[in-house]
Amino acid sequence: MGGVCSRKRSQLVHEDDSFQTSSRFSKTSSLKWLLLTLPRSNSDVSRKGQGKGPGRCPSLMELCVAKACEDINKYSSFSVLPRDLSQQIFNELVASNRLTETLLETFRDCALQDIDLGEYPGVNDAWMEVVASQRHSLLSVDISCSEVTDNGLYLLRDCPNMQSLACNYCDLISEHGLGILSGLSSLTSLSFKRSDGVTAEAMEAFANLVNLVNLDLERCLKVHGGLVHLKGLRNLESLNMRYCNNIADSDIKYLSDLTNLKELQLSCCRITDLGVSYLRGLSKLTQLNLEGCPLTAACLETISGLATFINSVLRYKWWQFSHLSKHLIASGETIKTQPCVSFPFVGLASLVVLNLSRCGIYGEGCESFQGLKKLKVLNLGFNNITDYCLAHLKELINLESLNLDSCKVGDEGLIHLKGLMLLKSLELSDTEVGSSGLQHLSGLRNLESINLSFTLVTDIGMKKISALNSLKSVNLDNRQITDVGLATLTSLTGLTHLDLFGARITDYGTSCFRFFKNLESLEVCGGLITDAGVKNIKDLKALKQLNLSQNVNLTDKTLELISGLTALVSLNVSNTRVSNAGLRHLKDLQNLRSLSLDSCRVTTSEVKKLQATVLPNLISVRPE
Amino acid sequence: MLGKGEAPGHQTPAHLHKDDGDDDAPSGVVKLISAEGFEFVVDKKAAMVSNTLRNMLTSPGGFSETREGEVRFPEISTPILEKICQYFYWSLHYSSGKETSEFQIEPEITLELMMAANYLDT
Repeated sequence: MGGVCSRKRSQLVHEDDSFQTSSRFSKTSSLKWLLLTLPRSNSDVSRKGQGKGPGRCPSLMELCVAKACEDINKYSSFSVLPRDLSQQIFNELVASNRLTETLLETFRDCALQDIDLGEYPGVNDAWMEVVASQRHSLLSVDISCSEVTDNGLYLLRDCPNMQSLACNYCDLISEHGLGILSGLSSLTSLSFKRSDGVTAEAMEAFANLVNLVNLDLERCLKVHGGLVHLKGLRNLESLNMRYCNNIADSDIKYLSDLTNLKELQLSCCRITDLGVSYLRGLSKLTQLNLEGCPLTAACLETISGLATFINSVLRYKWWQFSHLSKHLIASGETIKTQPCVSFPFVGLASLVVLNLSRCGIYGEGCESFQGLKKLKVLNLGFNNITDYCLAHLKELINLESLNLDSCKVGDEGLIHLKGLMLLKSLELSDTEVGSSGLQHLSGLRNLESINLSFTLVTDIGMKKISALNSLKSVNLDNRQITDVGLATLTSLTGLTHLDLFGARITDYGTSCFRFFKNLESLEVCGGLITDAGVKNIKDLKALKQLNLSQNVNLTDKTLELISGLTALVSLNVSNTRVSNAGLRHLKDLQNLRSLSLDSCRVTTSEVKKLQATVLPNLISVRPE
Repeated sequence: MLGKGEAPGHQTPAHLHKDDGDDDAPSGVVKLISAEGFEFVVDKKAAMVSNTLRNMLTSPGGFSETREGEVRFPEISTPILEKICQYFYWSLHYSSGKETSEFQIEPEITLELMMAANYLDT
């Protein structure tokens, strides 16, 4: 069951990155994903505290909780305990995957406040009886990925004080089940990701939830027409409707009065410039995600208007005020005001994060970017943005992250980024940027991450990169980069991530890796590395992610060489000559969660055996 | 460990003092008295593993406990208080890397001990 639930999740993650194919020649997928999908059994208090040498000393409380869980079968009820203590035992049982339907019974009427069973295996309507028995005490419930039905959800009517409810991916909850929500008016946070139960009619129940601050309806495909029921939820600060791809402009109209909204996620909805225009009054909005919506740059007028609108209101008020004071002074009354030389409110743009990637935006209208002075994160990837457009970004001096992936920008355009001194992350993958453009970036002292994959940058450009000594992450996945370019970068000793996936690095070039002692992730898959080159990798003890695939000459010797890299979480040696005989060298890599051995000389049964006997933490193995 | 109570720790306080060169460490002992009136005399340093006791013993205003050097626990029974004193010393040794064995808790006292640990914030 647990496997089923976590698979459900992982499939979704892949859907998110659907443009990233998971074929054996692909690049390593997100390390974050691997680290997030830890099995619950890893959070065992007794292991955390004891037996691992002199770490933090476990408190007596933690020891008692662990002991109570260990002997859990000896107890028939915890209702004698104060509720905060039974809560701790409950949480630990969940975290260590030991809670069963029978054990849950011990917690009936315990006045628990929080029941987080999200993704917990086996949760169904029978569990909900004990959940609901907490009655007025119950404040938060998460039954995501469970088999709870409308009947189970209905039991929560006894818990009117509930503030937070998450029913993500609960496929058995239908629109009839949602009616119960209208009685839960204390809810401040509600999450129903990917639910077919959230229909336009069922959303009527939301109209009562006037205290709602966070609402998450990601991937609910039947919400079109239901947003009318949200229009009175004036306290709403965060609304997620990503991938609700039947949401249209007519729906957005109902959001226009939700002036407390700070975060609005609308990626992949069918929203056009008209829809965006309904958002113009949302002056508190700091995060707006419109990725993949069919927009034009004309919508920028509205978006920057989110700033200029409020400016003009304030300007008007200021004008009124100064006229009034003149009038008062003229009529002989004195008024104490601060002398003011200039209008003090200029630049009240509220947006901090704006995602317009994959919107198909062209350059015209980009002038409006100038108004978004507070922007820190701007994603313009996969648009028809040109150098001309970049000229209008140069006043966005607070930018920390700029994504221009696959835009039509080149060397000329980068000159406009020169003054963006706070920039930490710059994504230029698949652009026409070449070595000569990089000179404009040499002043960006705060730059920590740069992606130059599939650009025209060559070894010559590496000199400019080497001067950016805040860099931690560099992506040079690009055939023009060779050993010569890599050798120029050895001064970047702070590097933690280095991607040389397609670069033509040979064994000679690998000697440069010795300078990057802090590397946590390394990809070198140009095909030219042999076992001799891996010798220069074996001492990079901080490595968590290593991709050496496509280097067809690597043998079992490679596995032997890297057998001491015990921090490794992900290892890819696909398409090499690694064989069954080499697998034994992996036995010390106890942190390994992902192992790819596609097109190697290994058999599935041997790999499975390795997983079952020595590497229990492996959750992703190829070949399957 | 002195007084009427039996020495609860794995090691005697005198032993602790010997390898304790830390000048800032609180000196002296404190008497912890159980519901039944049983007295446990422990090093202040050990007692201060409990945040509740630490606050009592160090607060400048001065609890009467601070002045008299004894703290009464009318809610904590003798066996539980003894276990808690053992934990104080186990914790000190664990933190200094000298203790590697697990702290044993008997199943029949777990819940009562948990309530006391909660009160003592330890």
